[in-house]
Amino acid sequence: MKFRQIFTTGFLATTAFAYCLASLPAVALFAATDGVDSFVPETHTTSKTSSDIKEESATQPSQYEDISEDAKDVKPSDIDNGSDENDNDDEGTNIADPLSPLNKVMFNMNDKLYFWLLKPAAKGYAYVLPEFVRVGFSNTYDNLKSPARVINNLLQLRLAAAGNEFIRFLINSTCGIGGLEDIAKDVLEIKKQEADFGQTLGHYGIGHGIYIVWPVLGPSSLRETVGFVGDRLMYPLTYISESDLPIEASIGIAAHEKVNDTSFRIGDYESFKKAVVDPYTAMRDSFVQYRKNKVEQSYIDKNKHDFK
Amino acid sequence: MKFLTGIMNNRIIRMTLMLWLAVPITAFAGTALETVKAQADNVLTILKDPSLKPETERKAKTARIRSITEKMFDFTELSKRTLAKSWDTFNPDQQNEFIRLYKSLLEDAYADKILAYSGEKIVFTKEVPLTGKAVEVQSKVLRKNGEIPIYYRVIFRDGVWRVYDVVIEGVSLVSNYRSQFREILIRKPPESFLETIRKKFRDN
Repeated sequence: MKFRQIFTTGFLATTAFAYCLASLPAVALFAATDGVDSFVPETHTTSKTSSDIKEESATQPSQYEDISEDAKDVKPSDIDNGSDENDNDDEGTNIADPLSPLNKVMFNMNDKLYFWLLKPAAKGYAYVLPEFVRVGFSNTYDNLKSPARVINNLLQLRLAAAGNEFIRFLINSTCGIGGLEDIAKDVLEIKKQEADFGQTLGHYGIGHGIYIVWPVLGPSSLRETVGFVGDRLMYPLTYISESDLPIEASIGIAAHEKVNDTSFRIGDYESFKKAVVDPYTAMRDSFVQYRKNKVEQSYIDKNKHDFK
Repeated sequence: MKFLTGIMNNRIIRMTLMLWLAVPITAFAGTALETVKAQADNVLTILKDPSLKPETERKAKTARIRSITEKMFDFTELSKRTLAKSWDTFNPDQQNEFIRLYKSLLEDAYADKILAYSGEKIVFTKEVPLTGKAVEVQSKVLRKNGEIPIYYRVIFRDGVWRVYDVVIEGVSLVSNYRSQFREILIRKPPESFLETIRKKFRDN
């Protein structure tokens, strides 16, 4: 008799406890199926600012793909398709490509340029120069692009990011000896706050226009080309007069930067080509998705300690 | 025996047992992040295993990693979402062949990258619910010159979270292959599309 009472009580207690534990993920799951807005894990400061609201609305486009896809999970049929819904979920990754024949020619040309010129140069360069030297160059070039990042962050109203990038520029230029060392990141843990003019234009709703593949420079669009020119206007070396920095030297510096950069990435393009079935389309699609992601990030302004 | 029947005669115990049957299975399945992280840790363990380092062990290493990724990924779901509305234009045999080919293509494509792992730290940060039964598990790989955000989109089916898409620096794998295949399927019927994939696989 007594044993059974103990057993029953124990059984009841364990059940109650298990329900308390179980209810937590169940509530989370319920909130999840209820919609995204109701359950966004906090990554920002507690006070909701307009940039937070913008971020939540900005996450809608990126989940738009999944809305139409996952809506199908609710259907009785197991097949994951659904006529017009799939046209919608690619809206974000579609780009007009009227220059497609010309772009393909450029794409093939860049492909040859990579294998015949850039890769051998980068390989030889990497063989001769040890990594820390190449990292030093990379940091220096990066530091020169800091003013553009500050300005673009300001234009995007990302004040915390602009402030941090400005501090980075000051510290790296002085303590980091002209940008050789990324002191701000290594010691103070202030990471690079990426921002470019193409992203700024996208931030304000300007679309890509059309897809363009430039020789040497690679995949771009109407908007991104304007962005590139804009960033160039924010680049310090642009403002050194012709007599001090002749055009050949300018081009030489740009070429050095490209080779230096590629020396860390030898093999990336090759594995990209191996992984894809249609390289031209794959690159175009990656470009559009990548830039779209950058624009979505431009609505987020996190404080210094939370930068990811 | 007598003890058991005695227990079951008790009304309270019978009712409590019913409550146990009602506990949602997801409560015990682990969260999406935990599931993905556990699988990733298993792969990393194999990659860090010193006994598998020499070139001769490459095949064994790949086989062991494959056995994990087969459980980790839902290749059927991945295939369906990649082909999207073209899925229905494939007959069941073609669908199965596509799943097989696509899986092999991806394994081939990413095997080298995965095997080239050289000790980078991988941090799982958070999970973000997507609409429906899907969740996005966010992680980042800490490399020398920056971090690479890698997000795993998982769906809960048959009691387990499985990956149906990987988003690297904002670029979704499924989206990317979908746009490639769409270009091909505009011009070719399913059978010659499959031949293109087979050929690609042979050339690799």
